[in-house]
Amino acid sequence: MKKKTSFDGGGLVIFEDVSQAIQAEKILRASGYEVKLIAPPPKYRLGCDLGLEINLVEKAGVQRLLEEKDAPFMDILSTTEGSEELLSIVKTTEYNGYVMVKAGNMKLAFDRSTGTIVNTSGGGCPDIPYLHAEMVDKKLDEAPKPKELGFTLCALMLDRALEEALTLWNGGNN
Amino acid sequence: MLLIAGTIPQEGMPLVAGRVRLEGSNLKADGYSFPRIPGTGAMISAALSATDYLGVEPPFIVVAGDIGKGDGTRLIYRYLSENVSSIKPDIVTLHYCQPFMNLLAQFLKSVEKSEKPPQLIADAGAMYAAKAAGLAGKFSVFTPDPSEIAFLADPKATHPAYISQHLFRSEVEDVPNLIESAYKYNSAASVLVVKGATDYIARDGNIMATVNYPDVPTLEAIGGTGDTITGLVSAFVYAGVDPVEAGIIAAKSNRTAGKEVKPTPATKVSDIIDAFPSVFKKHLCEWSNICTAPSRGG
Repeated sequence: MKKKTSFDGGGLVIFEDVSQAIQAEKILRASGYEVKLIAPPPKYRLGCDLGLEINLVEKAGVQRLLEEKDAPFMDILSTTEGSEELLSIVKTTEYNGYVMVKAGNMKLAFDRSTGTIVNTSGGGCPDIPYLHAEMVDKKLDEAPKPKELGFTLCALMLDRALEEALTLWNGGNN
Repeated sequence: MLLIAGTIPQEGMPLVAGRVRLEGSNLKADGYSFPRIPGTGAMISAALSATDYLGVEPPFIVVAGDIGKGDGTRLIYRYLSENVSSIKPDIVTLHYCQPFMNLLAQFLKSVEKSEKPPQLIADAGAMYAAKAAGLAGKFSVFTPDPSEIAFLADPKATHPAYISQHLFRSEVEDVPNLIESAYKYNSAASVLVVKGATDYIARDGNIMATVNYPDVPTLEAIGGTGDTITGLVSAFVYAGVDPVEAGIIAAKSNRTAGKEVKPTPATKVSDIIDAFPSVFKKHLCEWSNICTAPSRGG
């Protein structure tokens, strides 16, 4: 039997019924994700009594794959006590001609006059350098969405930074 | 040997293990070329700049392609776990990896079985895994940024995206307290080099130094300017410099190189890395006892 070596858990996909959980397990395993079917702790029993434990850090990739495959699920939660919500704090800093938006641990800087992304920084998961390469030098509204291209929690935070930057950019042109 | 391990954002790139060199504007090892962009590439490039200047062996790198699926991370940890005893590195620096706690723990078990365990340095995903797995104490140096020191200070957080809001808010003005908490909860390496508006260098719970000059606020917007500090610290520790002093030198070098290039948020980290040799030449003797002319291959 193949030994699972990189399963840390910390994330829980919840479903309305057992068949959805089993379907999701098949889809995720077929794409190389390490997952576990588990009985969710009582406080997470929003639907059926079968949940799918995932590596929390892989939340973005898991969510996208299930959506792409039209596999229904109710939510993806963190099971780590006391840290169930993603950081929601967003800050902006003005530089001469540029704006930096910081969402949680991720930062995105754009040119105020052209709306071009000039840099991203922060984070520590492997998709962040990849997203940097894919996003820099593209217009805010033409750049790939980190939520759609990335796989990790860092990518979700960068997505929030991009959303905020787009809001600022659109506001600045209204 | 200074061994640096981390992922490269090239899908399908196999595991590459070998000495790294600069070829044109790219890094190259074992026939594979990759750019000096934020992440492991910037970190390796900064380390290479320092080892080259100091006249010590260039880093031996263990890298693999990973765009966030964890495939390259698995290859790297497998290689390290199987080979660390035979390679016998003096320093191992772990960088951008999917934060798999189990794989890190397996690697650390291999390290402990080594005849001469290396000093361990971590940043980015490897640092997240070390903290979340309760293994931070096995490391000599962590190089967190302000949001990451808030993560280390939060005993319940398993990833910087899940830090308690109040700790995240305090990151700007209250780094000393966050450092204290990180040590209190055994979430810190022996030495912390906290990169930020003011850089803090701490050892075993005590802040040993701060660096806040030259002040170059634009560096925060430039991806990779934290990675360069990790690379410089690694190289200087490998060259025999005490980790606290290495942290101070790295912080001063990064700021000074940043100032020299007159950066905007659009500046590339490779431009800053290219300024390191002239910064070392002008300032290293003043900042440390490294005053002799470097001799290549020494």
